[in-house]
Amino acid sequence: MNRYPRLCLLKLCLLKLCALIALAVCGNFVSQAGELEVSPSTVLLERPEASQQIIIWQADSAQRRNDRTREATIRVEPAGIATVDERGLVRPLANGLATLLVTVGDQQKSIPIVVARMNNPEKISFQHEIIPILTKARCNSGGCHGKAEGQNGFKLSIFGFDAQADYDAIVSESRGRRVAVTNPTNSLLIQKATAKIPHGGAEAILPDSDRERRLFRWIAEGAQFHFQDAAVPEIVRIEVEPQEQVLLAGETQQLRVSTVDTLGRRQCVTSDSEFESNAASIADVDARGLIQASSVPGEAAILVRHLGHVTTCRITQPRLEQTFERPIEYNFIDTLAWEKLQRLGIQPSTLCDDATFLRRASLDVIGTLPTVDQARSFLNDPAPDKRQRLIDELLDRDEYADYWTMKWLDILRADQLTISPQGAVAMQRWLQSCFAENRPYDEWSTELLTVQGNTSAEGPGSFYKILNKPDEAARAVSQLLLGVRIECAQCHHHPSERWTQSDYVALAGFFTGLSLKQLPNGEQALIALGGKDLPHPRSGELVPTRVLGGSPADFNKITDRRQVLAAWLTQNENPYFAKAIANRLWAHYFGRGLIEPIDDIRETNPATNPALLDALADHLREIDFDLKAFTRTLLNSRLYQTSSQTLPSNADDQQNFSHYLQKPLPAEVLLDAINQSSGVAEEFNGWPVGYRAIQVWDNHMPSYFFRIFGRPVRATVCECERSGEPSIAQALHLLNAPELFEKISHRHGRARRLSNSNQSPVELIDELYLSTLSRMPSSAERDLMLQAFTDLDRRAATEDVLWTLMNSKEFLFNH
Amino acid sequence: MLKLSLGTPTQNCRGLSRRHALRLGTCGLIGGMTLPRLLELQAKAAISTGPKAKSCIFLFLEGGPPHQDMWDPKPEAPAEIRGPFQAIRTNVPGTFVTDQLPLCAKIADKYTILRNHGHNDNGHSTGYHYVMTGRRASFADGDNPIPNNEFYPSFGSAVSRSLGAQGSLPPYINLPHPMQGGGAGFYGAQHAPFVIEADPSQPDFDVKDLQPPAELSTSRLGVRRRLLAGLDALELQHQQPTGQAMSTYYEKAFQLIASEDARHAFNIHAEPNSVRDAYGRTQFGQCALLARRLVEGGCRFVGVDAPGWDVHFNCFPSLKTDLIPYADQAFSALVTDLEQRGLLDETLVVMMGEMGRTPRINAQAGRDHWSMAQTIVFAGGGTIPGQVIGATDKHASATIGAPVGVNDLLRTISVLMGIDPDRTYLSPLGRPVPIVDGGQVIKGLI
Repeated sequence: MNRYPRLCLLKLCLLKLCALIALAVCGNFVSQAGELEVSPSTVLLERPEASQQIIIWQADSAQRRNDRTREATIRVEPAGIATVDERGLVRPLANGLATLLVTVGDQQKSIPIVVARMNNPEKISFQHEIIPILTKARCNSGGCHGKAEGQNGFKLSIFGFDAQADYDAIVSESRGRRVAVTNPTNSLLIQKATAKIPHGGAEAILPDSDRERRLFRWIAEGAQFHFQDAAVPEIVRIEVEPQEQVLLAGETQQLRVSTVDTLGRRQCVTSDSEFESNAASIADVDARGLIQASSVPGEAAILVRHLGHVTTCRITQPRLEQTFERPIEYNFIDTLAWEKLQRLGIQPSTLCDDATFLRRASLDVIGTLPTVDQARSFLNDPAPDKRQRLIDELLDRDEYADYWTMKWLDILRADQLTISPQGAVAMQRWLQSCFAENRPYDEWSTELLTVQGNTSAEGPGSFYKILNKPDEAARAVSQLLLGVRIECAQCHHHPSERWTQSDYVALAGFFTGLSLKQLPNGEQALIALGGKDLPHPRSGELVPTRVLGGSPADFNKITDRRQVLAAWLTQNENPYFAKAIANRLWAHYFGRGLIEPIDDIRETNPATNPALLDALADHLREIDFDLKAFTRTLLNSRLYQTSSQTLPSNADDQQNFSHYLQKPLPAEVLLDAINQSSGVAEEFNGWPVGYRAIQVWDNHMPSYFFRIFGRPVRATVCECERSGEPSIAQALHLLNAPELFEKISHRHGRARRLSNSNQSPVELIDELYLSTLSRMPSSAERDLMLQAFTDLDRRAATEDVLWTLMNSKEFLFNH
Repeated sequence: MLKLSLGTPTQNCRGLSRRHALRLGTCGLIGGMTLPRLLELQAKAAISTGPKAKSCIFLFLEGGPPHQDMWDPKPEAPAEIRGPFQAIRTNVPGTFVTDQLPLCAKIADKYTILRNHGHNDNGHSTGYHYVMTGRRASFADGDNPIPNNEFYPSFGSAVSRSLGAQGSLPPYINLPHPMQGGGAGFYGAQHAPFVIEADPSQPDFDVKDLQPPAELSTSRLGVRRRLLAGLDALELQHQQPTGQAMSTYYEKAFQLIASEDARHAFNIHAEPNSVRDAYGRTQFGQCALLARRLVEGGCRFVGVDAPGWDVHFNCFPSLKTDLIPYADQAFSALVTDLEQRGLLDETLVVMMGEMGRTPRINAQAGRDHWSMAQTIVFAGGGTIPGQVIGATDKHASATIGAPVGVNDLLRTISVLMGIDPDRTYLSPLGRPVPIVDGGQVIKGLI
């Protein structure tokens, strides 16, 4: 295509308009509020369906740039060249030059508008201009024509990732009825989309809208995919303005999105882009890219998506009126956490008391309640370093390995029905020794990744019995060890990341040499030998095996391809590995990941405190992936020891750890807590007496309690499987279950022992509080509980106090 | 002449027919309403039709009921296909069922028999998964983790999530066995069924954990309540949203325990003997009766799992004595009872299994799995009664024309209950998962 006429015209216009701009600027009147600024500085519209979003900026006295677009009076002069709506979207009417005049209060500003080529616009590219319509109107969404089998015989690729297939579906299939080049109005595509004839998806595209006109023109131009004479320049990225913005409660901000192509040309695609907030309770965004801040302080990332390209705008919403008192800093975690909270104007809660710390740390580190004696001695210990010592003691307990083994059995999918009981035991023993010996995480995750040999022998071999296809192994390993959810890219381009189907099969190529061999004794051995590159699911071309974001792997002199992956995984430069495990542990101890969901690390899902996550990952590398040492660092921070009681300024903060986030006890931990408090051990079906719930590796052991409290089924590597959602059945069970009644009234149980003793009612109440909540009762609580002893006999009163405490929210949560 | 009241609860369940719309179109413009606009409204109405069914009773015959021995008799077929049962007339001229369904035959004008359901999942646990979730199982048949729908929610959970509870009863109740395919999947525990594992035909029938242990005296119960309320009041000041959620469920649990309505709904012993007898003093019969009581109490979706239908060996004696007569009595009593109480219009009753059974009787005098053809029976809830929809071939081995699939069924139930079948909920990976995976509303049923 000859580009000169267009450029000449542009130059000419710019020359002419310089004068205009100069005039406009001189005419400005400077007031207290800063000068107006209009972005972009010129509007160039070269297609009848083009539009240009403008943003009108003004700095306030605090030097913050505010979006004044919707308060401004905006006019186009002379009329007839272009129009502008109340949100600042400029659209062309006829070729010519005009001026956009903006008035905010007593300030004025103008920018030039150039409308050209209305009669001979560049022809419409299916890929760049029609696909976004299908996406924006949700034609290709998963609930509609985008689902695997399509809808009513019309199938589109989800999010439009496969332009060629979509083109064929629209232009060639259905005997060509969907487009009628000779009479575009008769095209089924337009008639259905605008609901001129019945359409299950109703009016997806408004009649007479720019989108309808664009579809119309594309068909009228011959409904071509590409044009022989026009090499359509590739879009290389999208840009959003602003990339970050501070908003105060209730404020709004318009986004402006442009594509940038290989020639460096920018085109406004704001009205064609998709927007999504990762924290809608803080800042939400509408379909036109207008952000609305709520009254909750914090940060949100607005994801902007267009044609497989993604970018984000980060919104910070501080509470300015708050005076900040910086608490003490125990380590680097506190420094970085306080910096963030100070910036947001959120005051952290006070230090939690000793009893709370004891219960919290015990439940978190070893999944076990402190005993009455432990609680008493900790509370009576006057030493200032007793919290540090407690942390060290907990990490040395056997239950540490039990509890963390259970957690990892869940996410390593040790489902005994799938991997056999022998496989589950082999996995359990291996994990137990990893945690008990505190082997470095990079070392044992390498072992997990590269395991070979008998899957029933102690080791993680049975992991590959479930993940017995290369791509299943790839996505599980990616999510588990890297925190990268590449699963989406199995079927389509990842909707909010750069990962493509090529990246997916390239990673799967590491697992192609795996096979399971039957051993003479009936067991199986995992063997890794050789391997091959896998074909692209659409093109069929072989994709060289490579790590995420890397270049093709070199397998020279390598028999087990996975070793190359393992080496990349654990090298210091790996951008994911250390972050993923740091975030996973952080989420366990702090109730929420710095990145949430915890295994979804991507640029468009930023950490709530990126500096802190980076520092944690660095720290983990420095201490050579010593998980106990890392846990020690977390728990010794002042941040971990923050009270869960909120302050007025932090009550609605859920993402910055300004107060400790309460967590429901996992099903196994709760059952152990009930057993320990009542003093009656559970007899698990088929297990020796004395085994605790956190030690039971059999995830299918029948148990009503586990079923209603949500024990994971171990079907995914996602920690999200463990449901913390309460249900009526749970509450009913705790209130009325005969199983609980038996424990509370058991003749060898705690309540009976206490009521048979000669201790006073006050002493009994104190011990029951220590056994359930690890603290002494307040005087109001003591008085309340003493009522039971006046109304009932001693045994009944003791039992009912214990029952009451087990049904308190304080018991059911780690707080 | 023509009333347009789209979207209001009083509207006709069929919405606006295309014929009406066409007539309107030829009449020209009515109040600015053009034909395309009307058609679009009609398309929307297919989804946003005001709910007909406030609740659904889903009677599931676990194992696979033999369609040819019940609802789809083939008197002309050879004996090894026809089986020992005869076809009999019903009170709807031209509609025949087998002689094992004498009670249902008398009220065939009150329900509709759909004979052309079919799919191609021939396993129990996988077929169950498919029917309950509308999605193919990802596991092999025979794997029976409970629940087995680890990811996809059962339809009852979708009802719970979309409609929520009305009154103090949980919105989704399942009895008398936990459904393998009845779990909440990724919706989480709050949408899991409230499971009543006891048999309501037993004299000591009781709902687990609903009542405190009998050993506790009234005075102790009073003390417990006082202590817990007192503790709650002291705790209230430092609760976070998570704790509050638990409080909400405690409140619901207390409501459930304390609610006269709920207690009444569960208390099948309060039902007059005549009614209990009418349903049959069988597990299935009493479950159907309890289901009616639960629906009256506000439950949205009651799943009744009736086991025993996997009749591979010597099937006819048991079909004749324990299985079909019990189902005949329970289903006919339920439909009649609902109608007499004026509840049939707002209660959808569906009866089916995970599959039908083989046309040819096997060497052990039984019938094996046959998912290609099955009969589903519908009553109430906005369905048009007294019909036979679809047909199978002369040996009841294949549907004539394309079968009505599982998702057609789920979409139809969804629309009847006023739930948008295309509504999506985000999976843990952030993928929008629609309630119903495709399908079309069953033609002629609503």
